[in-house]
Amino acid sequence: MDKVTGHADGGIDYVVGRELGLKDVMEHAGLSPLLERAVDTGASEVIISDRGNAILLKRGMASPADTHRETRILKIEGEPAGTLTVTGPPERKASLVNICDILNVSIDIIIRNTIKRMVTTEIHTSVVNQSYQELVETNTRLRESENRYRELAEKLEIIVEERTAELKKAMAKLLQQEKTAAIGQLAAGVAHEINNPMGFITSNLNTLSRYISRLRRMIGFYRNAFMSSELGEHLRTEEADLWRRLKIDFIQQDAGELLRQSLDGAERVKKIVSDLKGFSHIDDVEELPVDINEELDRTLNVLSHEIKAGTEILRDYGTLPEFFCNPALLCQVFLNIILNALQLEMDGLRITIRTRCLNREILIEISDNGPGIPEELRQRVFDPFFTTKEVGSGTGMGLAVARDIVNSYGGTIEIDSTPGNGTTFTIRLPERGTGDD
Amino acid sequence: MIEYDDMEKKMILKLVYYGPALSGKTTNLLQLHDLLDQEGRGELMMLDTKDDRTIYFDLLPFFLVARSGLRIKLKVFTVPGQVRHDATRKAVLQRADGVAFIADSRRSEAANNAESFGNLEKNLSFVGLDIDSIPLVVQFNKRDLDDIIPEEDINRVWGPTGIPVILASALEGWGVVETFERLLGLTYETIDARFRLEREHGLDRITFIRSLARRKGGAEIHG
Repeated sequence: MDKVTGHADGGIDYVVGRELGLKDVMEHAGLSPLLERAVDTGASEVIISDRGNAILLKRGMASPADTHRETRILKIEGEPAGTLTVTGPPERKASLVNICDILNVSIDIIIRNTIKRMVTTEIHTSVVNQSYQELVETNTRLRESENRYRELAEKLEIIVEERTAELKKAMAKLLQQEKTAAIGQLAAGVAHEINNPMGFITSNLNTLSRYISRLRRMIGFYRNAFMSSELGEHLRTEEADLWRRLKIDFIQQDAGELLRQSLDGAERVKKIVSDLKGFSHIDDVEELPVDINEELDRTLNVLSHEIKAGTEILRDYGTLPEFFCNPALLCQVFLNIILNALQLEMDGLRITIRTRCLNREILIEISDNGPGIPEELRQRVFDPFFTTKEVGSGTGMGLAVARDIVNSYGGTIEIDSTPGNGTTFTIRLPERGTGDD
Repeated sequence: MIEYDDMEKKMILKLVYYGPALSGKTTNLLQLHDLLDQEGRGELMMLDTKDDRTIYFDLLPFFLVARSGLRIKLKVFTVPGQVRHDATRKAVLQRADGVAFIADSRRSEAANNAESFGNLEKNLSFVGLDIDSIPLVVQFNKRDLDDIIPEEDINRVWGPTGIPVILASALEGWGVVETFERLLGLTYETIDARFRLEREHGLDRITFIRSLARRKGGAEIHG
């Protein structure tokens, strides 16, 4: 038990203080020349033996006549470790004592220094090994931590980029929503203001129409009476001349037409105002069941002034289930996409709007026959601030906002385009009845 | 413990004098060498030093034969105190049976003492020893100098730890043998608990201390 073994954790194999035997030391001490000189000087035989009397080193050879023997105890660290024996003829006893003493002192010094050398060498080696090992470990740890930090730094850049993009998008969306809300509010206010005068204009026009037909009846009566009366010829001629000059026949005919047209116009204003109010959905803060086809029509009505003569709008509506949402947002999506197509400003523009419900999914396709979008731009049209229009004329937000709204309802929006062959936006919305979500 | 050989009836123990640079570890060993009787101790081995600073270690061996025939060899080592020799300190600390921490009493050295004690704790743990269980005494050396930490302060700080504290002046030669004896006493208890020194080898505590620390002229025993 407790034999000298290395400590597994410390990496130190050598234990300072380990016992050294005389044999261990002798291997490194180089004592032979010393013993040989002793033999040359007069000793017949010199022997160094360990504590068990095993001979470690021997020089010379004693003859039977060499009866005198000098012995000294050799010590290591103050402890007896072996014996030095000098043998020779008895007549040289004094010389043998001297030789033995000198040898003893010399060997003692050599042993001490050898032990010191061995110990320092060993400890030096173990310390160097340990220091090296620690350096290697430190190096490994440093490299690992360096890698970790580099990875972190790289990831950080990506994360920062992602967050920045998200923030940019969120901010743009907010801006757009605020703008939409402000426009909606304005539109609703204007619509309300227009509604009042429109009310009495329509009512007055109707009344005026009745008044005019009464006046016409009265004029007809007067004319007939005038014709059949016994009045002078010149007066009749004058009347006919004035009637013709004042184009009374035309006026009578046209007055009704004017009023009808005015009433038509008033009716159209009423409709526009009502659509504008409906479109802005200024009062609809909450979600409600919406007929998507109706919202598409509403959007097209609002856009009517943007629709140039010669532009063809084809509506291919399927039967759709009610979609539970904020209709203002949905109109915003349709408006942004349709407006995009209308802004192509080309002759013979044809916009096809197709709606279907397939596999519990509402499909809305808005296609145009425009020049299409090049592939390299197709991926970017949904990016915030991406615009092909001149600086200042487009925010680059329209399609980004549209996609965000569609995504918020769990839907997708895709773009399919062949250059020269038009563009199709496909919106897919999962069915969303009242009570879903 | 460096070695225990049941067949050879041989036990080799290791005590280590630890502490900051220039706190007097080597002086302690020199004084032990001078103050203790030649019988029972070996020669002081001082490994090469540079400008009187220990770079490897010093070694003073002691011998004792128990009544049972068990030969006990006690090797007392110093470590180099300088911070840069930490690897050597770890090597010397391997398998230590007891530690005497030699602190420098001067006020200016308080930080160095603390740092060195922290280093001792760390290195003990490194070589698989526990500062809470290893026999440990603290010597506040250099009490002969001015501007030293007062005894009350030392007691206030060290009292609660239960670690024996000895005041000494290694240069003047007092407190040195006491430190050694206190450490021998604590070390005996640990070894006795494990190897039944008293019951199986007929070696009691007082004999253990007296045999290893024989004062020239025979003074009283501490520890």
